[in-house]
Amino acid sequence: MTASRSRCRPSFPPLRGLLPLGLLLLAWQLLGSESSPYFPPPSTWARGLQRLWENGTLGPAARETLVTFTLSLGLATVAGSVLGLAVGAFRRVDRAVGPTLEFARAMPPVAMVPIAVLLIGYGEAMKVAVVTLAAVWPILLNARAGVRTIDPVLVDTACSLRLGWFDTVCKCTAPALAPSIILGVRVAAPVALVITLLVEIVTRVGGLGGLIALSQRNYLSGQVYGLILVAGLFSFLVNGLVALLEGAVLRNRPRS
Amino acid sequence: MTSPARLLRRVNWLGLGTLGLLAALWEAAVRSGAVAYQFLPAPSAIAGSAGDLVASGEMGAAVLHTLQVTLLGWALAAALGIGLGLLLGLSPTAWRYSMASIEVVRAIPPVSLVPVALLAFGFSIRMELTIIFFVSAWPVLVNTIGGVRGVRSELLDVARMLRMSRATRIAKVVLPAAMPAILVGLRLALSLSLVLAVVAEMIGNPHGLGNALMSAQQALQPEQMFAYVLAIGVLGIGLNAVVALAAARLVPSASARRPEGGRR
Repeated sequence: MTASRSRCRPSFPPLRGLLPLGLLLLAWQLLGSESSPYFPPPSTWARGLQRLWENGTLGPAARETLVTFTLSLGLATVAGSVLGLAVGAFRRVDRAVGPTLEFARAMPPVAMVPIAVLLIGYGEAMKVAVVTLAAVWPILLNARAGVRTIDPVLVDTACSLRLGWFDTVCKCTAPALAPSIILGVRVAAPVALVITLLVEIVTRVGGLGGLIALSQRNYLSGQVYGLILVAGLFSFLVNGLVALLEGAVLRNRPRS
Repeated sequence: MTSPARLLRRVNWLGLGTLGLLAALWEAAVRSGAVAYQFLPAPSAIAGSAGDLVASGEMGAAVLHTLQVTLLGWALAAALGIGLGLLLGLSPTAWRYSMASIEVVRAIPPVSLVPVALLAFGFSIRMELTIIFFVSAWPVLVNTIGGVRGVRSELLDVARMLRMSRATRIAKVVLPAAMPAILVGLRLALSLSLVLAVVAEMIGNPHGLGNALMSAQQALQPEQMFAYVLAIGVLGIGLNAVVALAAARLVPSASARRPEGGRR
């Protein structure tokens, strides 16, 4: 928790730290053999990507991964906040569903893939179901923790102002919860991306992951490395975007 | 520590009851045909099939394989992560000249490397170990670096004042002070190891729980499939509990800090 906080918040470590990575890639390029089936040099990665781009498979695959990811993260955010709110607000509910939630949370999402395939079949709905199920937990847990730490004065104020139930939620609870939910989303976003790729790799249903698995099957290793680079870029962008979002939501807010 | 009676009172009966009620509802829904999924077995059928699998030894073999690989990969990752983390945490020069590389490589989603390992090592236990090692070394490494760099400078001053040798300083001052952070990394790494072991088995290695799960799916044996999923979940909870207990014993102050939500 503390580690993940300090990791993304302050500045990126000094750029000269990229030196070893650069040297490694350079050595790989110079010493690697173009025809190596396992460790092809970086120039073949670029060529593999270019080929995929030209035959028009890269764009749609990337879009498909992006759609699954966005949809699932959105669903997980809504479901996680609502459930977390309900569980956190009422002690009895928490006690009643606590063990069930703990048990469900402990299930590795990968193990859900075969079940989802059998019940829902191969397709977009299956992907979204598995990814949402994996991404919902960090948001739910953070929302639950957030409800518990709401300042009682805030609730009392709403009470003495005779705000209705709806107004209380909109004007007091939701704004007070936003930081914890955003924190949950920040943990959930990389999870959602990883699980999206994972489901695609395991089931070979479309998307970047499916493309990676397909290239690997056909021993197009240059393409595999190129696609991994694209996936890395994706995760970099996603993390950056979520950090920006967090900054925007948490601005003008006294740090608690 | 706690007496049986107190332990009994601490059990969350309401929660367990809810779990039981849900299972009963599920059973009733499937039996009565209210839920018309072709491949949704009733809990009783799952339990029966789990019993059969345990009796025939298939379950035991699969669990044993997955457990072995998980623990071996985790141990390797822990050794490298803590060792390298100490080096990078203690030497500012090494940190400056490598941390950015680490951050960049770490950003690559680990699962996308499964196909690479498959290319390089084929369907083997080496492939499985490589994947587990590569993925779970990161949390240990990053948390060790963070923990070591976060050691209070007063402690290091004391060590210097006592003229401790480098080895003594690391063993007596740095490691104990960084232990809470390292333990968080180790816990994250263990759950990751199990997940990645299952993934590797699902995609490549023809052994273990992941493979059993996939073959049950392909054989259209949903009861067996659910039984294996349950086994994976129980294994995950068990491993996590063991590490949490060990951590609470080793460093009592660290047990308050939990790796919230970050499971993989």
